[in-house]
Amino acid sequence: MAAAATRRRRFVIRYGSGREIFAGYALIAIPLILFLVLNIGSILFALVISVFEWQFRGGAGEFVGPGNYERLLADRTFHKAIYNVVTYALWVVPLQMALGLLLAVIVNAKIRGQTFFRAAFYFPAIASSAAITVLFIFIMQPEGLFNGLRAALGLNPIFEALGFGPRHNWLGSASTALGSIMALNIWTTSGTMMLFYLASLQSISREVYEAARIDGANAWHTFWRITFPLLKPAHFFVATVSVIGALQLFDQAYIGGGSNGDPNFSLMSIVLYLYNAAFRQVNLDYAAAVGIVLFVIIFGATLVQRQLFGRTPAWQ
Amino acid sequence: MTRTQAAPLRPDSSVEVAPVGDRGRRSRRALGYGFLTAYALLMFVPFAWTVITSFKTQPDSVRMTFIPDPITVEGWQRAFNELNPPVMQLFLNSAIIAGTVTITNVVLGSMAGYAFARLRFPGREFLFLLVLGTLMIPDQLRMVPVYQIMQTLGLSRGDLQYGGVILILAISATSVFLLRQYFLTIPRDLEEAAKIDGAGFFTTFWRVMLPLASPALAAVAILSFQGAWNGFFWPLIIMSERDNWTLPLGLTQFRFEFFTQWPPLMAVVALATLPILVLYLFFQRYFVEGIAASGVKG
Repeated sequence: MAAAATRRRRFVIRYGSGREIFAGYALIAIPLILFLVLNIGSILFALVISVFEWQFRGGAGEFVGPGNYERLLADRTFHKAIYNVVTYALWVVPLQMALGLLLAVIVNAKIRGQTFFRAAFYFPAIASSAAITVLFIFIMQPEGLFNGLRAALGLNPIFEALGFGPRHNWLGSASTALGSIMALNIWTTSGTMMLFYLASLQSISREVYEAARIDGANAWHTFWRITFPLLKPAHFFVATVSVIGALQLFDQAYIGGGSNGDPNFSLMSIVLYLYNAAFRQVNLDYAAAVGIVLFVIIFGATLVQRQLFGRTPAWQ
Repeated sequence: MTRTQAAPLRPDSSVEVAPVGDRGRRSRRALGYGFLTAYALLMFVPFAWTVITSFKTQPDSVRMTFIPDPITVEGWQRAFNELNPPVMQLFLNSAIIAGTVTITNVVLGSMAGYAFARLRFPGREFLFLLVLGTLMIPDQLRMVPVYQIMQTLGLSRGDLQYGGVILILAISATSVFLLRQYFLTIPRDLEEAAKIDGAGFFTTFWRVMLPLASPALAAVAILSFQGAWNGFFWPLIIMSERDNWTLPLGLTQFRFEFFTQWPPLMAVVALATLPILVLYLFFQRYFVEGIAASGVKG
């Protein structure tokens, strides 16, 4: 009896009264149900769908096991999608990080108009992917602003040397479509990366810099020896966000190149492939398998990055 | 928001002793400003070009001139009159979805954020981790199962498609996370006072905590509105009825219908961006701080 009473008292101290517990569960109930059904539950559901012959309206049909996965991994269009997305990530992630860091360091310095520049650099990120992609298509078309500006700036000899005519159709050529979409996304997202870096930069203690100054370190050394290593957790976070974003390339590819990622599959991405499987070919089980594979790729990439950047240090 | 979480700063009267006459420093500074200005221009020019083009005539739209000659509203008229569904319908659809999703995120996010920050109940830490864990799940993995769930619930047909999209976007882990972090920074004294006055948990939440959390509520509202207004993926999956389309969906379709008729197309782009632009001009701080705070790990 006494032991039970003690246990009960301990429970109340740890968790509060029955009313507090009730209030807690009541307040989280709706969000939690939504998260459980639409997020956690849907992973399991996707796994189930991917191993059955799944009817659009009827649900589960015959069990097919790993059949979808085998077919998927052997499909050449899927290979093309993976190749495109990996190429895209290898260019976009480092450039986005470097640009984001550069902008953050500059904006973090004592400069005039700091607020204005910060707001300006984040500006392209506020527009919708649809609006920005249509705008970009307009700018990159043969008679568009980009071709016009490079002619006006006298840059055409350089482009000529690289093999691009004065009216090059950037999104319409298989060789430059993906590169153009890379440029689009570096342009729109580097401001977001800047904000992530900025938050970390502002948390670095001033004392560290003062110590460096007393030791006579110049700005270049201070940056590479102190700021850069101290930003390790930010590097990890920004790299992760950037890689995940790159692997999920969809809106810009779909709006820019239609559902086939035209021209000639140059904009075919994993998610575009998934979308086609589900809504063009109406092959839901196959599409679910693509989703699972994408998740595995993203999860794997995150683990690799964790190894690369190490664990978050204790002081963060 | 990040600022309130930062360690207390020391008075820093001793810093900033820039060596006088350091020429390297000065030229670096000039170079820096040059780069900043050029880069800022690069951010704005394409948007300005959109607006300029929307007031041009078709033949004028591919000329590299900054002032439309003649200035015409023909592009805007065509954007408003020739599209199916009408562009105002799309605007309204986007507003309904973004407005509702903003409200649900603020309401549900603050309720859950408060519970996770302040109330003690068994399984709290585990459930919070579970919520955060959903950030790891890509939307695309959820596409097929969520579509099937919506179909089962009957939310994939007719006007109920609005309900489907709203349900999917009703609450994000980021909203819960941001609000929880903010509630954690509010001193406990005020709640204690309310408790002594006999207020229950719901009264304390409603009367004491919510008013104090208004900066965080604003940030969550802005981020949710922006996300839902700009959202492409879920409306594309659920909104098969043309009349239910949001602006981004319509825009994608118009790109194929208007093809190279740039003035009306750019008018729609400008219209789709306008509400967010206005929000950004007035509440820039909340955009920036919301993004920054969602990046700082808790």
